[in-house]
Amino acid sequence: MKPVITGPCFGEVVLVDSYISFFGEVNPDQGCLVVQENTCFRDKVFIFRGTRGSTVAPYVIYALRKNNTAPKCILVAELEPMLIAGCVLAEIPLFLIENYKELVNSICDFKEGLYLEVRNSELLLYRRI
Amino acid sequence: MYLTPEQEKMLRGDYGWSVAKAMEIIVRVGEALGAEELVEITHAHVSGISYSTIGRYGLEFIRDLALRGGKARVFTTINPGCVDYSGYSSVIDNSLVEYQRLIDESLKEMKFKPVYTCIPYFYRAPLPGEHLAWGESSAVIFANSIYGGFTNREGGPVALAAALTGFTYKAGLHLLENRVGRVEVRLHTSTTLMPIGALGLWIGENIKHTPYIRGLREVSLDDVKNMLASAAASGSHALVILEGLTPRGTFRLEFEDRVEVEAKALEDYTGEECSGTSILGYVGCPHTSPRELLLITHLVKKYGKPRRGKLLVTIPAEFTRLYRDLISELRAMNIDVAAGTCPVVSRFKEKFDCVITNSGKALFYLKRIHGVRVKLASVKEIVKYLSGLQG
Repeated sequence: MKPVITGPCFGEVVLVDSYISFFGEVNPDQGCLVVQENTCFRDKVFIFRGTRGSTVAPYVIYALRKNNTAPKCILVAELEPMLIAGCVLAEIPLFLIENYKELVNSICDFKEGLYLEVRNSELLLYRRI
Repeated sequence: MYLTPEQEKMLRGDYGWSVAKAMEIIVRVGEALGAEELVEITHAHVSGISYSTIGRYGLEFIRDLALRGGKARVFTTINPGCVDYSGYSSVIDNSLVEYQRLIDESLKEMKFKPVYTCIPYFYRAPLPGEHLAWGESSAVIFANSIYGGFTNREGGPVALAAALTGFTYKAGLHLLENRVGRVEVRLHTSTTLMPIGALGLWIGENIKHTPYIRGLREVSLDDVKNMLASAAASGSHALVILEGLTPRGTFRLEFEDRVEVEAKALEDYTGEECSGTSILGYVGCPHTSPRELLLITHLVKKYGKPRRGKLLVTIPAEFTRLYRDLISELRAMNIDVAAGTCPVVSRFKEKFDCVITNSGKALFYLKRIHGVRVKLASVKEIVKYLSGLQG
């Protein structure tokens, strides 16, 4: 786990095991994915593989912050400059996951109600009882 | 990160708030990417200037930088806005013009060249090895792959920050050691039967490391532009090395994988079948070159004016002046020519049942943004379909 933009990271997990174009595939008013219904990341720990597509992405991420629809933090397997720029502007903690597949497998064992915390560069998973 | 005394002054605010904010963005992104220093750039291209895509918060960000004294320190061009700057289009909705004007005034205040296009290389072609800070994914991939320029996929605000400081962080594709082709892609001859945009979409979605493409022959530079833009939309590629095209000395090859692409693999990337009564043909994503305008003129003369639907062509804003006669001729043939914009960054005046386009990038975005069915076809097929000569 490598912190890219440091900050607190604790909350319910939303995992989208794919690449995301923030422009076109994210609704900044709702903090939800356009392409995958009922997937919303507002105030949650948002985990996905990486970004793709338009370089407008930083402004969409910035709008998430201004609209109060931003995730608590973002964890990705691959970094792109525009994702970092967006998180710098929006002040969203960003982390690079080194063992992404392992984490995805761990998360997929649970259906819902899984919480994640980044503490001292370590990942801690909790299940709501 | 090492900063020169001049860069330290910029960061400290000696040159004003806007320069300090811009430098902060560049340094923080650079540090996150492990850059040890900044690099001087010769050309910034700023994406994310359409009100339709960046909204009021993006507008406020740009206005703040302009109002507080930001000025371009290098040659800077800008992407399309959300309105048709010629005012003649019946397809593009100009209702956001007041908001777009606020953005445009801010950009001009900062001395950015108002080209409103995603093909900035038309105005200034980069030299091999030249450091740039470009936004607009389709322009970035073209600059790296065709001209051998060195630029990352800078997000809109980073390219803007680079324009105001004249620097960007030295990491990623600014270093030759990162410009390495790792996947050798061979194209089966059957792929030539498929729309070139489909090939780009396939590459973007299926190849994760930098590809080296063999066998891309007998295609025009406009087709290459279309293919690269499509790969940058469905994937995160900023560089696709093309055999015989990408300038030597701007990349290295260290293959880890080899794949061959056949036409069958591309079938899932050609969009949906077109039906309904309201059909839009679309050419110009990325913006058309003068050669493409001539091609469309020739094809419409040969096959007839659009009858089954509208044909939208999008061009850089300045083309209405540079190619006035050609544009007038196209308009006289019932072709809707919109300047300085495109449907990816704007809204339609009406709802279409289907869009037929030659652009893989347009296919990727239009169905997501406008919720419309999109079909890929060649420019010739689009013109023939609209004229009623092809089913």
